[in-house]
Amino acid sequence: MEKKKLYPENSNGKNKINRRIFLTSIGNTATGIVLLGSFGVTLEYLSPNVLLEIPKIFKVGPVNSIQPNSIIYEPEQRTFVIRDEQGYFYALSAVCTHLGCTTKWNDSGAAGNPNAVISCPCHGSLFNKRGEVIQGPAIRALDKYRIQLEEDKLVINTAEKVSEDEMILKV
Amino acid sequence: MKILNWLAQTKIWQSIFRTKLPISTNLDKSLVIFNSLTLHIHPVKVRLRAIKFSYTFYLGMISFFLFVLLIVTGILLMLYYQPAIPHAYNNMKDLEFVVSNGSYLRNMHRWSAHLMVITVFLHMLRVFYKGAYKPPREFNWIIGIVLLIITLLLSYTGYLLPYDQLSYWAVTVGTNIVQYIPIAGEKIRFLLLGGNEIGEYTLVRFYVLHCVILPLFMVLLIALHFWRIRKDGGLS
Repeated sequence: MEKKKLYPENSNGKNKINRRIFLTSIGNTATGIVLLGSFGVTLEYLSPNVLLEIPKIFKVGPVNSIQPNSIIYEPEQRTFVIRDEQGYFYALSAVCTHLGCTTKWNDSGAAGNPNAVISCPCHGSLFNKRGEVIQGPAIRALDKYRIQLEEDKLVINTAEKVSEDEMILKV
Repeated sequence: MKILNWLAQTKIWQSIFRTKLPISTNLDKSLVIFNSLTLHIHPVKVRLRAIKFSYTFYLGMISFFLFVLLIVTGILLMLYYQPAIPHAYNNMKDLEFVVSNGSYLRNMHRWSAHLMVITVFLHMLRVFYKGAYKPPREFNWIIGIVLLIITLLLSYTGYLLPYDQLSYWAVTVGTNIVQYIPIAGEKIRFLLLGGNEIGEYTLVRFYVLHCVILPLFMVLLIALHFWRIRKDGGLS
């Protein structure tokens, strides 16, 4: 069966555009542009420009008062600030990389594994003190944040994730 | 009886109910069904087999009844609820412990919601195992799937509204699952939350979705779903 054509053809096989088809096309195009535009504008509207969220940069310190081999947990920023045995600093996100629950630090480890000092209450992921995965369901290590020394205080920027090589701040 | 008879003869009655009383012939009986908004969900003539309980277990109608119950209780709950932090949690507790019959209403809303998910699911199982999704009913099956999804979304968006620990973490986990959608995942999460973390905007967004947008689509699709049952040849 031959399909019915949307636009009729004349004898030499070219599309014949009469006044009705011309005006309909213009009308449909204009309506389409308006609909597409309003969709775009609405989508833009749905995305808030100003957010009253907690600041990405925060300070911890003074450095001298933090003992080696200790951690500070910042609940607002959901961040662990750690000073290791050598006295070096690094900052780990406490947000589980599986589905975003807040993990808990426990010095004696979890699930019978003394290395699993960070554990997630939601689905049981375990991490070591460097934030590396010991047990799933998480597949990615915890995020590491940029940590810098400013005068005698540590400045941590949760907007800036760094690699393993850059995570350590030597003081 | 005499008053009813007189009432049935008045112009007002006859303008509301088109069927002439008394009902005596088969035609009159069929007109009662035909002229009624609610009864004409069935055709004038139905096989006895088709309206037997064991044929459909009335699961679709039970789901619809639960939906109506949810709308009624939901609207009443809205009168004591503000979708703002920290009011939301306090309002929920007020509904439980202070407002007269508030806990009854809230429990009715909650249990109906749980039940509705179950009955919609069972309804789909029934349709599936009876092969009632087959042509010419394929499109109605698709509408049914969308209705299941909306039911689940309503359930999910309603879960945040008490704004307790359970809702907070359920929505954290849920929106993080959304984040795994390729390409658009991050953006969808941002739009759902109205930010990067659950906050004031999230609560309002889930409230509007739960109370306006999703029920609206639900009502429209239920109407289409019921209409299609008739057009596709009745119950099966």
